[in-house]
Amino acid sequence: MRPKACSPACANASQVLPDTMDFVVTTLLNALTLISILMLVGLGLAISFGLMNVTNLAHGEFVTVGAFAVYFVQSVGGSFWLGLLAAPIAGAVVGCILEFAIIRHLYSRPVSTVLATWGVSLILQQGLELTFGLGAKPVTPPIEGTLDLFFTVYPAYRLILIAIAMLTLLGVVLLISRTSFGLDIRTVIQNREMAEGVGINTRRTYAIAFTFGAAIAGLAGGLVAPLAIVLPQMGVNYLANAFFVVIVGGVGSIGGLVAGSVFVGGLTSVLNYQISPSLAQAIVLLAAIVAVRLRPNGLFNGASR
Amino acid sequence: MIARDRNWLVIFAVCVTLAIVYPFFADGYQLTVIRDALIFGLFAASLDFFWGRTGILCFGHAAFFGIGGYIMALTTLNDAIPLGSVLGILGAIAGAAFVAAIIGYFLFFGGIRGSYFTIVTLAMGVICQQAAVSWSSVTGGDSGLIGIPPIAFDLGGLHVDLSQDLPSYIFVAAIVAVVVLALWSISRGRWGMVLTAIQDNEVRVAALGHNAPLRLLATFVLSAAIAGLAGALYVCMAGLVAPDLSGLLLSTEVIVWVAVGGRGTLLGPVLGAIAIQRAQQTISSFNPSLWPLLLGCVFVIIVFVLPDGILSIYARLKSLFNGRRPAQ
Amino acid sequence: MSDVLLQAENVGIRFGGLQALEALNLTVRDKELCCIIGPNGAGKSTFLNLLTGTLRPTSGSVRFLGHDIAGLPLHRIARLGIARKFQIPSVFPSLSVEDNLKVARWGASSPVRPVGELLDLVALGNRAATLAGELAHGQKQWLEIGMALAIEPRLLLLDEPTAGMTPQETLATAEMLLRLKGEFSIVAVEHDIRFVRALNCETLVLHQGRRLRSGPFHDIETDEMVRDVYLGRR
Repeated sequence: MRPKACSPACANASQVLPDTMDFVVTTLLNALTLISILMLVGLGLAISFGLMNVTNLAHGEFVTVGAFAVYFVQSVGGSFWLGLLAAPIAGAVVGCILEFAIIRHLYSRPVSTVLATWGVSLILQQGLELTFGLGAKPVTPPIEGTLDLFFTVYPAYRLILIAIAMLTLLGVVLLISRTSFGLDIRTVIQNREMAEGVGINTRRTYAIAFTFGAAIAGLAGGLVAPLAIVLPQMGVNYLANAFFVVIVGGVGSIGGLVAGSVFVGGLTSVLNYQISPSLAQAIVLLAAIVAVRLRPNGLFNGASR
Repeated sequence: MIARDRNWLVIFAVCVTLAIVYPFFADGYQLTVIRDALIFGLFAASLDFFWGRTGILCFGHAAFFGIGGYIMALTTLNDAIPLGSVLGILGAIAGAAFVAAIIGYFLFFGGIRGSYFTIVTLAMGVICQQAAVSWSSVTGGDSGLIGIPPIAFDLGGLHVDLSQDLPSYIFVAAIVAVVVLALWSISRGRWGMVLTAIQDNEVRVAALGHNAPLRLLATFVLSAAIAGLAGALYVCMAGLVAPDLSGLLLSTEVIVWVAVGGRGTLLGPVLGAIAIQRAQQTISSFNPSLWPLLLGCVFVIIVFVLPDGILSIYARLKSLFNGRRPAQ
Repeated sequence: MSDVLLQAENVGIRFGGLQALEALNLTVRDKELCCIIGPNGAGKSTFLNLLTGTLRPTSGSVRFLGHDIAGLPLHRIARLGIARKFQIPSVFPSLSVEDNLKVARWGASSPVRPVGELLDLVALGNRAATLAGELAHGQKQWLEIGMALAIEPRLLLLDEPTAGMTPQETLATAEMLLRLKGEFSIVAVEHDIRFVRALNCETLVLHQGRRLRSGPFHDIETDEMVRDVYLGRR
């Protein structure tokens, strides 16, 4: 049983020809893998796009940079785990520079933000290609082999990926709900002027929140690197899917993020079994558009307009 | 307003004159270069009609260009279809308009505007390119379809054959001129004025009895239809169609053409397309991967240095000579 | 009762746990002028949103010519003959005054008044070519009234038409509305007492989401309880 090659958009290389129970569990786990990744990538986007109204088209490059960080660490002899540590740092560095150099100057000019971040995205892609050369970069997972889960056997690394993603998300929830920095973020997001009035440095809070989102996306890139085709252009698929997550799920709550990820990730995983990945993508896009038409404020928000 | 209209018409007339005299000074190859650039200029004008008039950025406009191109290719390559060129062009226009109508309906009536619209159209472009690659039984996959014949038809005594350089140049230049002029008159009339009002305050427009989403949808569909037309023309001139034609890179290039040429001017984007493609050919001849890098830099430069396009340099200089600060 | 244009019966609305409006009644007859007043936070704008169908009441009903209009798209409501002037002056700043009125006329199902007449009605005859964004605040308010007139409404709803105006402009606005009285119904929400005094019409006083008083303005003005509310004694 050889895992089927997967497109970078859907890191769910599937096992072939399953029995019913095997099939169900495998599909569920595949979906969960994709959902985990989407949640991590979508988190940063929910912060920047959803809450700060910044349309950052270079968000996908945080994922790319994270994946390349793992590749780079491995290629100079480091372990995967060291690479996985480097991934969020790489994402954070790029995110911080982007915020500082570009985004903070354009908060009041949404279309300009779209154009400038797209420019940065192209520059990063070509920069990576010029630095590391053409072609897909190999990244080896820390653990080969599978785990017997009674109903099915499943690649062990994917289970680790799911666990790390869930723990990260839990950590973020705790950070936002329990710490004073989390309180700052929530205050700034709810009312920027008011937050300034009570002495919160909103600029700094925005910058940190943005960098934080970039770091999480970088981590996602590091996690997905052994499963995906690591290319300078890999980011755009994550970008599109993460935007769907945020648009479908609605902004402003972790619940929305989860709902959006489940919708996009679940649908993609299930469809991927039946039809070609790009047709599956098209159907997910259409479903997302229809969902937005029916519930403009997101799946998770009770009131539909 | 009147002076602005007059200026536009003067520049338009100058451009048309240049286009008419150009064949007397150019050889066949140079003609085809300008012809192909003009087709992309038409594509740029189609995006400008939507983006410039509504303020909403479509980030996947190449999807419509590609849809038009593939429909044209499939129609003309099928020997069973009579009048392939004519039906192909009509089909390309209709196909692009249809897709835009479906997607636009859900977005505009779902209240999707601004950045959300940009994102969804970006995804649309990505998917169109993927579909073109993976649906290889129809689209020819990565390598696309080749051997597309030039436009040629006999219709009611009218005999058209564009296999030669000069006729094809004239045909394309005439279409571009007519379409740009038509778009311009639409956008300064009632339709354009309501669109400007929608940009200012959509709720207010609706409260006056206008169906604002329908207006936006109609604008989007017309814009997509023209992009489809441009795609159809291009594949006949180039003789081939490939997934790149609906790809993200072309979608972003057309944005640069419009932004550099001057958003909302319709003519500027056409000129921007011609100028930038010249630059692209020169740069790509050194190193093909240099171009996307430069394109990225151009995006950033436009935003920070020239938010109103190349033509705004003239306005800035003018206001400098008049001793006033340029308007922000 | 056949000349009843707009009827709100026992209307209330809750936002979450907050009862914003409760048990309000309002009947507007054809070509009638009436005012809704009350201190800040009394629920005037919310009530107006209910009357225009922008919000749906959680209890009671609002009917325009016998139809429930709550939740209809805005342009359909406008085509039924309801024009609205928003609280924040919302003209189209990048269009000229004349083009603002043109856009408004095109929205009407059957425009009657030519643009020139509209310009004169709102005292902007000499500013036709000015960009609306460059008008003075009071003139923007007038332009917006002109745009509302352009769609030939059966009912004109004005949300604080004199907000931010000088006393002279306020009076001029009142005169403008009195000239239009008898052509269609007008409901004006205001908290400027001078303006309502100048209109001198049927008045509904809101306080904390409820009806405090209603009747002709001179009765209202002399009412002890209304005075207390306005002076903050209650």
